[in-house]
Amino acid sequence: MSAPGASGARQFWRRLRTQRAALVAAVVVALLVLVALAAPLLTAIEGQDPTTYHPSLVDSARGGVPIGSFGGVSADHWLGVEPQTGRDLFARLVYGARVSLGVALAATVVQVAIGVVVGVAAALGSRLVDQLLSRFTDVIVAMPLMIMALALLAIVPSSFPRPVLVALVIGLIGWGSIAKIVRAQTLTLKGLDYVAAARLSGWGTWRIARRELLPGIAAPVITYAALLVPVDITVEAALSFLGVGVKPPTPSWGQMLTAADVWYQAAPQYLLLPAGALFVTVLALTVLGDGVRTALDPRAASRLRVGTGRKREAKA
Amino acid sequence: MRQPSVIARRVAAASVSLVVAAGAAACGPEDNDAKGSGGDSTPHKGGTLTVLNSNPQQDFDPARLYTSGGGNVPSLVFRTLTTRNRENGEAGAKVVPDLATDTGRPNKDATVWTYTLKEGLKYEDGSPITSADIKYGIERSFAPELSGGAPYLRDWLVRAADYQGPYKDKGDTKGLSAIETPDARTIVFHLNKPEGEFPYLATQTQFTPVPKAKDTGTKYEQHPLSSGPYKVVSNENDGERLVLERNTHWSASTDAERKAYPDKIDVRSGLDSSVINQRLSSSQGADAAAVTTDTNLGPAELAKVTGDKELAARVGTGHFGYTDYIAFNPTIKPFDNAQVRQAISYAIDRSSVVNAAGGSALAEPATTFLPNQKSFGYTQYDHFPAGDAGDAAKAKELLKEAGYAKGLTVTLTHSNAKDFETSPEIATAIQDALKKAGITVRLQGLEENDYSDKIHSVKSEPGFFLAHWGADWPSGGPFLAPIFDGRQIVKDGANFNTGLLDDKSVNAEIDAINKLTDLDAAAKRWGALDAKIGERALTVPLFHPVYKRLVGGDVKNVVISDWTGVLDISQVAVK
Amino acid sequence: MTGFLARRVLGAVITLLAISVIVYVVFYVTPGNVAQITCGPRCSPAQVQQVAGQLHLGDPLYARYWDFLQGLVAGQDYSTGTSVQHCSAPCLGLSYQSDQQVTALILAKLPVSLSLVFGAMVLWLILGVGTGVLSAWRRGRLTERLLTGITLAGVATPVFVIGLLLMIVVCGQLQLLPFPQYVAFTDDPEQWAWNLLLPWLSLALIEAAAFARLTRASMLETLAEDHIRTFRAYGVGERSVIGRHALRGALAPVIALNANNFGSAVGGAVLTETLFGLPGIGQELVHAVKVVDLPVVVGMVLVIGFFVVVANAVADLLYAVADRRVVLA
Repeated sequence: MSAPGASGARQFWRRLRTQRAALVAAVVVALLVLVALAAPLLTAIEGQDPTTYHPSLVDSARGGVPIGSFGGVSADHWLGVEPQTGRDLFARLVYGARVSLGVALAATVVQVAIGVVVGVAAALGSRLVDQLLSRFTDVIVAMPLMIMALALLAIVPSSFPRPVLVALVIGLIGWGSIAKIVRAQTLTLKGLDYVAAARLSGWGTWRIARRELLPGIAAPVITYAALLVPVDITVEAALSFLGVGVKPPTPSWGQMLTAADVWYQAAPQYLLLPAGALFVTVLALTVLGDGVRTALDPRAASRLRVGTGRKREAKA
Repeated sequence: MRQPSVIARRVAAASVSLVVAAGAAACGPEDNDAKGSGGDSTPHKGGTLTVLNSNPQQDFDPARLYTSGGGNVPSLVFRTLTTRNRENGEAGAKVVPDLATDTGRPNKDATVWTYTLKEGLKYEDGSPITSADIKYGIERSFAPELSGGAPYLRDWLVRAADYQGPYKDKGDTKGLSAIETPDARTIVFHLNKPEGEFPYLATQTQFTPVPKAKDTGTKYEQHPLSSGPYKVVSNENDGERLVLERNTHWSASTDAERKAYPDKIDVRSGLDSSVINQRLSSSQGADAAAVTTDTNLGPAELAKVTGDKELAARVGTGHFGYTDYIAFNPTIKPFDNAQVRQAISYAIDRSSVVNAAGGSALAEPATTFLPNQKSFGYTQYDHFPAGDAGDAAKAKELLKEAGYAKGLTVTLTHSNAKDFETSPEIATAIQDALKKAGITVRLQGLEENDYSDKIHSVKSEPGFFLAHWGADWPSGGPFLAPIFDGRQIVKDGANFNTGLLDDKSVNAEIDAINKLTDLDAAAKRWGALDAKIGERALTVPLFHPVYKRLVGGDVKNVVISDWTGVLDISQVAVK
Repeated sequence: MTGFLARRVLGAVITLLAISVIVYVVFYVTPGNVAQITCGPRCSPAQVQQVAGQLHLGDPLYARYWDFLQGLVAGQDYSTGTSVQHCSAPCLGLSYQSDQQVTALILAKLPVSLSLVFGAMVLWLILGVGTGVLSAWRRGRLTERLLTGITLAGVATPVFVIGLLLMIVVCGQLQLLPFPQYVAFTDDPEQWAWNLLLPWLSLALIEAAAFARLTRASMLETLAEDHIRTFRAYGVGERSVIGRHALRGALAPVIALNANNFGSAVGGAVLTETLFGLPGIGQELVHAVKVVDLPVVVGMVLVIGFFVVVANAVADLLYAVADRRVVLA
């Protein structure tokens, strides 16, 4: 029944290190982040940039399909060029990583932050607070995300930095599920013996939340958040599909996917590149999420169910 | 201004155009002598024609439809005084009689137009079509609740500016005093100024007869009384699915234009544009007898189709009078300086703009404001020759003279909607091209409604933006007047004279040409006027779109006129 | 139980009212000249004003919201200019664009969306829970890795890509199915199912991964529990442990997630409906947002909200049934 404390961090790393898959995933995620950060450097090495048009590299009479094999792959253009514009695909892909990962991570952070705060507050607060927050969560959950995003993105002036706005909108609308999960989990934990014991020994609510509950809710939250990142990437893509995502000429994977799906037959690599990048990201994040969760709390499962739960408060 | 057709880029439901110009753009396809999959290319009667569309036919009331030449699907149900000539190419840009015996008889100064109806015209219920019904049809288009049509009737008819339609003044049976119906077959229009192009206007669906007794107001579109070869059998979900069957009271002997081969027409809409093209190219089952009246081939599909002989034979190419251009607002700095506008004209890289619009098969570079067709009076000019890739040196030189030796930063406003003309792709192509001339372009992408509000309001019009204009009929009049006639500047509403040009000589020339009833002579002068206005560099013409459309394998008799640029659905056969 | 129901109903009403207020406010500040859009791009200023007057667009926000509430509770008469339409309670108003009653519009579109989401739900539960159980059982083996990969590919690919590819391959190249085209269940149940198969699959593939992950995680948790260990110690077969005992314990969170997703999918299937051309709520809603057709937007958002709220209540009930330790309060 040791609550993770100062030694917890060390324990965590020790446990994480023992999982090979998680380590590989961590390396992949780190690489992706690195690529995103080093985008200007990488494209400088290639000698291209993501916005310059190369009309001579596409076949204008055939709808602008890239000239040459594999979508115009050459020493100058490592991954070929974009149909119609002839912009360098490698440059767009690495710059797109910045936007897609950035937007998705930022949106997830916003979602998790709001969700955890609201969920814990609802579970630990008074009946009235719980009622208010739960109702509010219901409202947020019940609003169709895509529609509200459409409306909100139309309201904000176009001078506002678009990627930040997209991240904020996705974050602000999409925290409902996390809040619900956190609230339920907190209620469960609250009824457990060790929390009850802490309470009996006179710990304050804040201290209990921090020391006893947060580690307990970390596992489900991290599992869920690892899935949220890729979902947020695709939400950004969907917003692009509906015409309100990140704006050109800023590239994003979502935007590339949106533009590329009709090219699946004429220029397959145009679709496969962002799709592959997205797939690798999702896979890595999920495996990493699993690893972190296991490392955080290998016995969470058994510990969770120790109490009889008779006194547990039910979900409203 | 008609809305253009949908190009098959990813046009989600999201980008459904504001006014679903019913049957606006018509269909597409096939080279003139391309055959269906069967060897027999002679069209026969019978069968069901399926129409796969992106935009639902939300308005099917003749008063509310905004069409060029009566639209495509609407023209199957609604006959008008005159109509477009259903022939291939240039001949198809002519106006011909429909319900009337001729295209109209003007008085000496073209301010009074008289029409006589053919004999034996009947509605789908067998009752006779009278001139009073045509008058009533026009009157109801003035009712605010049935708004949506083109503005010409209100502008041209005598004492019509404040008319509110027949529903408001139930006691007043005279209605619009500008229209007289001396007998059941005669109708006379009194205009407040000479309009030699009145016969073109009479092709629009507002000239459809509507019997007063059958008028159900805003509900009329559910079942409008047909005067054409087909009648509405069902209209589901506000035009999402429209089923038309033969109108047995229509007679080919009074209608030289509509062939009406299929027995039934099934219009299904709300489909994704890429799905429409995929279905047409697979051409299985009912899709073999399918066409689309609003969806072009996109660049990706074109790339695929051109490599496939069987598919390529099923693609029809057409030209509709349409221009995509950059508009300047000369009241905003630095665009008040003609040299800056000229510099930008020189710097434009039309090849990359054309590529962004889908490549040379889907867009033709434009240096004139008027579309490159004879009926518009097209006169070739290129006042600021930029070549294919732009003349950056010349642009820099002009900027230096204008006092911007160190370069210039401007904001280009465009719509975020993913239609192909004011889209981000075109804007980024321009941004990239102007960079070479030392002009830094910031992009201001606006949501569709916001964009439309801003560019059409004198108060909020940006200095530098993407715009487009389409022909209400194939002539210079409706192309040049709304954009360059100073008297058409609207201060407190939707304004289309974006250059805010109010020049006495231009206005006078527009008036002079409007007096001509010889349409060929008029066309020549429109062309000359266009070249003259072009010198002011108030716009930078970018490209004229080309329509490429697929048809199903069994579709025969594809006719594409220069009027609509797309396959005429009244000519198609599926047997 | 009665207390539970009463509280849920009251909560639902408050939630829905709050949603309608938010929608009104959001759309009040949305740019776009509603009257001009409704009237047509080349309407004269005078005509635009007429239309604005008719739609009460000049009224202050609270007055328009009050009108909306009145219509909802007592019904409303609307003049379309040419005639007067009575819209009986619960009246959600008339579409600005088409003069159709919003309630009628919803009734026409709802079957499509429900067909789509119900079918997809069955598929995503089968796919998701199935792979979840399998991968918990086959933990660490090749089967698990493969299943994980497949379900994650679902998450990583936007629905418009999956859907289009499915259509091109299944309908276009292999010609196994006709291109989807909505047929009402009441007209022809068989055609209904065949035509919806691809939309169901596209939507289900997106959702399945979440269920697979969740099922797997809670299965593993349950499997580690004392009572399961006890079963095993007593020699209960592995199949029975997994199928009967572990799955039951793991089902509660799955049910909660399912209800949640079902509700949001009613409106969230926008992209699927758009791509496949299914005339459902989502497709209509996106269009209404674009043309700022406020009554339609409010009506449709409320219907979606209604489904989410109901689905959540059902989830809580089922949760209690699946996991007897939860008490309804």
